[in-house]
Amino acid sequence: MSESTARVKALAAHEYRAAVRSRILLILLGILVTTTAVSVYVAAVDHRSKVADYAAYRAAAQASGLARIAPSTLAPLSLLRGALEYLEIIGAVVAITLGYLTVSRERANRTLTLIRSRPVTAGELASGSLLGAVGVFTTLVAATTLVGVVCVGLIGNDWINAAQGCKLLLAAIAAIIYLSAFYCVGAIASANTRVAANGLMIALGIWLLVVLILPQLGDTLDADNQIPGGLFKALTLDRAGETEILKHFSTYENVRISIEEASFAKHYERFAFAMTEVQDKYRGFSLGRLLGEKRNDIGWMIFYSFALVAGLRWRFRRQPTIPQETT
Amino acid sequence: MIATIARQQIVSLLRQRTFVVLLATLIVMTALAGVLGWSSHHTIVGVYDEAVKLLASRGDPAPPNPFLLEPTLALLSNMAVYIPFIGALLALVLGHLSLVDDETNGIGRLIFSRRISRTHYMIGKIVGAAAVLVAVLLASLAVSTISLAIVNRTMPTGADLGRLAAFYALSWLYLMVFVLIGMVTVLITRRRSLALLSAMGAWLVITFAFPQITSGLRPTQSLNPIVDPVSTSQAFFRFTAKARPYSVVEQYKAASASILRTAGTESTTSILRQVAPLLGLSIVLAVVGIGLVDRHDFSRGSNDE
Repeated sequence: MSESTARVKALAAHEYRAAVRSRILLILLGILVTTTAVSVYVAAVDHRSKVADYAAYRAAAQASGLARIAPSTLAPLSLLRGALEYLEIIGAVVAITLGYLTVSRERANRTLTLIRSRPVTAGELASGSLLGAVGVFTTLVAATTLVGVVCVGLIGNDWINAAQGCKLLLAAIAAIIYLSAFYCVGAIASANTRVAANGLMIALGIWLLVVLILPQLGDTLDADNQIPGGLFKALTLDRAGETEILKHFSTYENVRISIEEASFAKHYERFAFAMTEVQDKYRGFSLGRLLGEKRNDIGWMIFYSFALVAGLRWRFRRQPTIPQETT
Repeated sequence: MIATIARQQIVSLLRQRTFVVLLATLIVMTALAGVLGWSSHHTIVGVYDEAVKLLASRGDPAPPNPFLLEPTLALLSNMAVYIPFIGALLALVLGHLSLVDDETNGIGRLIFSRRISRTHYMIGKIVGAAAVLVAVLLASLAVSTISLAIVNRTMPTGADLGRLAAFYALSWLYLMVFVLIGMVTVLITRRRSLALLSAMGAWLVITFAFPQITSGLRPTQSLNPIVDPVSTSQAFFRFTAKARPYSVVEQYKAASASILRTAGTESTTSILRQVAPLLGLSIVLAVVGIGLVDRHDFSRGSNDE
């Protein structure tokens, strides 16, 4: 192992330990875990009755000697929708907080000067901190996924298969990338301001815009979301009719889609929902076809992530090592 | 004394540009709600017209226009979403800044070197923040009225204006809860950032966790003014639904929908019943704040990280 790699590993371990010891981070994680557990539990209980209904139908069909039995349309992975949404909203706040703590901890303890007095470059410091944060997010996402899968299996009576496991793994990797991007936002904003708490406010403002406002605008403008149950259903139109009518509103739809495309959170949501079969239209797709369908979202996620990691390294290089006045 | 502290608080917020940021954000938010309401209405009417043509070409009968019975104030239904999301976060920051600067700038130490009652100090702070909120919400009310007049092509009636005023009064009460949470978290934590994050944690619990537990509402469902009814027949919800009257965000949204008449009409008594938890929580938080300020040490506030 090279000396540089060893230093990055040491910094990552320091970041991980410090995160686990932070009380406010643990409180936010507690909120995330509680809400996630409730959402998966509620969905799994509901799913159990649907699995039982299908089993009863299947048994009755077999008993009556029916040649063709309709396959189940149930999607156990879609029960994790609540967990994915909570990672998207509360998880991003946790990630921003971790990014803020990375900067403010070293400033408040006046340990940044000490770290930089060692043969550690700003790039190694940024890489080590990011790696430690990725470790925290991996632990969080792995625990959430495991609890979700076990809940679906034990409570919902529906265990996922290997193909669904692969899709879930990709959704989990997307969640880790998403959280890491918000970690970079929190760290860059905090390192960029003289008082790190002001940076935290700026980062939370960005979170509000990217995670809540832009997706809300896109959703609200969606023609089908205007009345409970869906507008096209109320107008007794099928999918073909919907497509035919929306051709007359291409400019409106393009503007709406562009607003959604500006949000990194929406790209994560679309990808994760496709992988977990939340949307009916992606059910039954092979992994290759799904990745092809979602290449635009994958591209945007990679672009935003690289830009933010580059920004983090650049910001850490410019961060003064002499402690700043905190008033 | 209360009036002096409130006045100082308002001047301080004006000098920090907090007032300007609050005002600008709420006005943009209100204008956005109007534009969104107009845009979606316009599009839906267009979709309906195209659907009628398409169904006629297939020989199918035209369904009734789902927007024929739309209430005049439905245009502003997005405001009932923006207030709990954007407005509440701004209110948290307003409450946070109202107290935290006295701690970090040493003004707290200076004030309490004089013979000033801490209860009067806290009441003055609350009154100052409440007055700032009243001013920005009045501006928002004016923008809403103009939006309605432009989109509906007629001035709102007296009854509509009364309902609009009632909605903004309700929103003021809802936002005061978050102003007080912002203040209380400054008084119970030692560091500025910890206070802000604790307040944010409270907002997450009130806005997302409580509706999920009591009504099964997923977070993205809370972001849309039109929500499909969620099945809450499970035993879990039969137990947790007892806490639903205390879920202030749900009560706020239900009362807003009743006042704006976007979801049927409710009696005044039932609206008051929905408002009661908001009022109760505000009073409790104000009393807790007054109790905490008595014991708060304003001399330790130099570290704001």
